[in-house]
Amino acid sequence: MLERAGIGRSLPVKTACPAAGLKRRGKIDVATETLTGMGSVTDDQQIAFLPGSSACQSAPRRNRRYGAARFSTLVLSALTLAGCASMVSPKPKDPDALAEYEEANDKYEPLNRKMYNLSVWVDKYSMRPVAKAYVWAVPRPVRSSLGNMVRTMNEPVVFFNDVGAGKPRRAGDSFARWCINMTVGIGGFIDVAKYAGYPHHDNDGGLTLATWGIPSGPYLFLPMMGPSSIRDGIGYGIDQGLSPWNYVPRGYGLITFNWAYNIMGTINTRADHLDDLDQVQRDALDPYATIRSAYQQQRKAVADSIRNDHRATVPDWYN
Amino acid sequence: MKTSVSRRLVLGTVTALALTFGLNQSASAAETASDFVRRLGGQLVTIVNSDASADQKREKLFPVLEEGVDIDSIGQYCLGRYWRTATPEQKAQYLKLFHQIIVNAVSEKLGDYRGVSFTIGGTTQDGPDQVVDAVLHRPQQPDANTQWLISTASGSPKVVDLKGEGASLRLTQRGDYSSYIQRNGGKVDALITALQHQIDRHGAPKSE
Repeated sequence: MLERAGIGRSLPVKTACPAAGLKRRGKIDVATETLTGMGSVTDDQQIAFLPGSSACQSAPRRNRRYGAARFSTLVLSALTLAGCASMVSPKPKDPDALAEYEEANDKYEPLNRKMYNLSVWVDKYSMRPVAKAYVWAVPRPVRSSLGNMVRTMNEPVVFFNDVGAGKPRRAGDSFARWCINMTVGIGGFIDVAKYAGYPHHDNDGGLTLATWGIPSGPYLFLPMMGPSSIRDGIGYGIDQGLSPWNYVPRGYGLITFNWAYNIMGTINTRADHLDDLDQVQRDALDPYATIRSAYQQQRKAVADSIRNDHRATVPDWYN
Repeated sequence: MKTSVSRRLVLGTVTALALTFGLNQSASAAETASDFVRRLGGQLVTIVNSDASADQKREKLFPVLEEGVDIDSIGQYCLGRYWRTATPEQKAQYLKLFHQIIVNAVSEKLGDYRGVSFTIGGTTQDGPDQVVDAVLHRPQQPDANTQWLISTASGSPKVVDLKGEGASLRLTQRGDYSSYIQRNGGKVDALITALQHQIDRHGAPKSE
């Protein structure tokens, strides 16, 4: 969970095996993932640093290790499931209360609230001060340019989702945005496309699934990632697969860019929501419920606007 | 012949008048909602953009909101299912606090801005109410798409809901209040106490 947020990440240690028979102390992390507001990266390149790793470890030790790993995964899953069973809020019998329960769509409320409290606590001591410092130190035009860059880099994901949602005009818009902003907009730093008649629009895997008629499923609050749902969580996974940045080959300096981009994107996105989140924390009696309600309404509104976008495939000037 | 002509004339005139009147009425009803939003928005913007202090702005906002917003109906909506179980005293006390909450919320949201403006878009019918689209322009902030739900149930047009980027304010508020009451043993008094605290805190100087 913390690993998803890039906290507590175990970085690969490129230790050469000194001699056969000696214990290898380098940590072998196959996949670490970092979260950003816009996307994430799963870099599994570390394992490629270990050409001789199998020679450094004897087969039984490895088997034992895999066995232990499998066992711990099993125990962890069982614990999670057992935990989840007590984390389901009971269905009320009173019809009014039931209507409210259905509207909130929050079957896992006890678990979600725990995750929310944890996230708020971690955020208070990590991302919020960082975002505040970022806003203090970096002038607004620079922040806005960086925001544009992050958004442009996410444009391929929007494009693929537009295609998936069967909205060619929207796909054309995001394709045009990508081409214009990456060239004239100097690598995405200036949102020229907006002025050329291609304003940004949102789309992601969760919304694409929504346009296919897949219901959202229960609401989820993902630690360090914020409000989501079963469907949006799956959509997030799909987006990772759609983002070209996750296929960047190693050793071209692009990895560094990728890391910088992800960290910067996370900070920038958090900074964008400084005032909103502070206001919710200050003004709402139950900030958790307020965020839950607002999130689900907004997702529905965006999905509806995508579904109701019946513009002709080609722009007017083409005819 | 003469009679039939005059009858035709009279009937025709009546029909034409009825049509014109009817059309005019529907057109003016549609216009009223957007005109109303334009007028109310104009008043709000004038206060927000003025040089007055935050307290003065709040004082000026109060009558404008009381006149243009159906705060009682929004308050009732926000209490949800607990409205029916609340005693008349609780209802009265809650609504009194809710009026202040609304004014505080609006003045806080808009109070810090200068140079706010808005553009009125189209009007659509939503059941008995009308929805007016408006784009709020704030300096150094992205434009915000808002939708104003206007009801004429009380005789004159009044705002009964405001949607910002797809989220209805009254629905979100209801989610907040219901959840709070539910987590406090279903007691409306708990909400009333919390709202009172919120108002007291708002009056106090900010800690940050």
